[in-house]
Amino acid sequence: MAHHVLGRPAYSLNEDSNTPPSMQVETQIGDYFVTYMVFPAFPRPGAPGRINLYATRLDDGRPFHGEVTFKVRDDSWFGGREEILGVQSPDDNVYRQGFVFTDAGDYVITAEFESEGEPYVIDFPLRIGDPAPIGPIGLAVGTIVAVLLGVNLAQRRRLLTAKIRKARDEARP
Amino acid sequence: MNDPGLAALLSGPTCLALGTGNATMTHRGLPVSWGMVTLAFVLAAALWALARTPAKGIESQGVSLGRLPLIGPGIRRLTATPWVLISLRMFLVALFLLVITAGLFGTPIPERNLATMLTWNLWWAGLVFSVLLLGTAWCAVCPWDALAHWLVRRRLWRRAEPNNSLNLRVPRPLRSVWPALWLFIGLTWLELGVGITTSPYATALVALLMVVLATVSLALFERKAFCRYFCPVGRTVGFYSQLSLVELRPIEAEICAHCRTLDCYYGNAQIEPCPTWLVMGRLTQNSYCISCGNCTQSCPHDNIAWRFRSPAAEAVVGARPRWDEAWFMLILLALTIFHGLTMMPFWEPAMRALARVIGDSGRLLWSFSAGLAACIACTSLLYWGAARWAHRWTGSTMPFRRFFATFAFTALPLAFAYHLAHNLNHLARESSGLGAVLRDPLGVHAQPLSLAEKHLHHLDTWIPLDVLWALQTGLMALGFVIALQIIRHRGRSALGEAGQPAWRLAPLILFACAVTAFNLWLLMQPMVMRF
Repeated sequence: MAHHVLGRPAYSLNEDSNTPPSMQVETQIGDYFVTYMVFPAFPRPGAPGRINLYATRLDDGRPFHGEVTFKVRDDSWFGGREEILGVQSPDDNVYRQGFVFTDAGDYVITAEFESEGEPYVIDFPLRIGDPAPIGPIGLAVGTIVAVLLGVNLAQRRRLLTAKIRKARDEARP
Repeated sequence: MNDPGLAALLSGPTCLALGTGNATMTHRGLPVSWGMVTLAFVLAAALWALARTPAKGIESQGVSLGRLPLIGPGIRRLTATPWVLISLRMFLVALFLLVITAGLFGTPIPERNLATMLTWNLWWAGLVFSVLLLGTAWCAVCPWDALAHWLVRRRLWRRAEPNNSLNLRVPRPLRSVWPALWLFIGLTWLELGVGITTSPYATALVALLMVVLATVSLALFERKAFCRYFCPVGRTVGFYSQLSLVELRPIEAEICAHCRTLDCYYGNAQIEPCPTWLVMGRLTQNSYCISCGNCTQSCPHDNIAWRFRSPAAEAVVGARPRWDEAWFMLILLALTIFHGLTMMPFWEPAMRALARVIGDSGRLLWSFSAGLAACIACTSLLYWGAARWAHRWTGSTMPFRRFFATFAFTALPLAFAYHLAHNLNHLARESSGLGAVLRDPLGVHAQPLSLAEKHLHHLDTWIPLDVLWALQTGLMALGFVIALQIIRHRGRSALGEAGQPAWRLAPLILFACAVTAFNLWLLMQPMVMRF
């Protein structure tokens, strides 16, 4: 909604129905426009959630009718292991995939399908719970501390060199 | 359509545009009648300028606040004490740290998080207004620089000796505004392409990155190289401040002319030197002054104070042309136009169509980058063509490179006027809801706004629409008039003192007309809301 950017999560609340707030990501890939929705918008560890995926052709708006495979992996630099969540067929043009995560964290959901011999692989973000974002703060603080320490050491060395040079100059007849 | 609520949404000042599978809320643009009246004024002013001989320029002495009766001494005392700036810096640093905390730990819903609301809807939209009214005052209280200063110098304000920096000279290729320009293009790419404006987390990351860059630069290079050469926001503020209503200048030029100590440049035992290598007595343009107050505090003659002036004085007369600065101003114009373009309802379908042609997928960042590059190229080529044509017609003996840089100042008021008019829309229509975010900065357990709530928020403008439109058209007209003044005054030196007719400058006047007309057209279109 509003100044929406493709590929960025957007959050919406339909106050006229009983559905919880949802998170939605829209993206374009090849011949398809894909919409991915997560219910609830902020799933908690241990609580069930659901992914709805819609894929329609860009040229004529026809929905995709094949199977979609949903996979999941940790969205961290070293968390590479991927698991299959399920393979889904469309139900009224919507692919529905349920999930329950035991651990809080940032995950990447991958939806894969094949159309006219072409493979389609789309990654979407999924946050479970409130993982502590220590990484960016640690990186920023670490960089600043390393630079300040380095500069401090270099300055001490400069001062020492200057002192030695001065002492040599004074000792010279 | 039977839903009366939806019908109201589609017809109101904020409306819902139904596109390809999406509903997009848009602000109503400037009415056609307002746009046409402004355009008629622009054309009349252009014809008037063509018929006249080039102007001799404007002499603006300004009014020094330090000389005003009754309040003058008080103002001088306030600018000479560091405590006003220190208090403001401490307040803004606290707010900035809250923004980072909210961005990293708060809700990802942009309209419920302080990081996105305060950064993009208030600060980013309002910054240009602060430049118009207060010049480069933002730089004086900038939390990036304040944090970097406290971390490296380890002093609240007094001069640190040694200053805990390696004091290296900035490498010669970087001693220009090119680094700031590239960073500004990068920031625009992140803002509009990647969409960090709708992500509190990404907003916090960019905030952290800027603090790291400012700190590393201060620790490595002499004085404040980040502020002078690298900061994309500081340089934008600096160039726009050539058109601001105030400037920091000597009260008595004679005192500076006879000054032998140059404390403003070198500092003194207590106060740091000028962070951007400026000598107050020779200062003719605001571009690199960051209003830090070092000169007002160190001047032994108490001779530096704020003064009011004509917003046209500096860009028309005072500022000297430089090749890198000319490009900065031109690309600033291109980027302001680009901002407007990306908020048009037709932008996204156009990007999708381009993506299909070039085989782009996902966030369509290649398509977006191509659009950004095309906008910069078109604006630059348009100006280059106008300058080349005018150079031939005038038969100027000035080398083309200098001619190009001299008239590039024309881009500045055109960019500033549109930037102000465009941001007025954002500020007036998207800043409601800030109170709720200040009460709950992290948006703990907050729900997204429903469509009806969003609509109500955007109806809650803090100025009536007629006033908004009047201000927008007034700004556009003023920007064009200043651009004309720049062409007429700077044209005099290009045409020579013999007094050639002004119609030889027609290509440059046409350039200003075309840009103003296009920007007016952009303002007349419905604008897609930020969130």
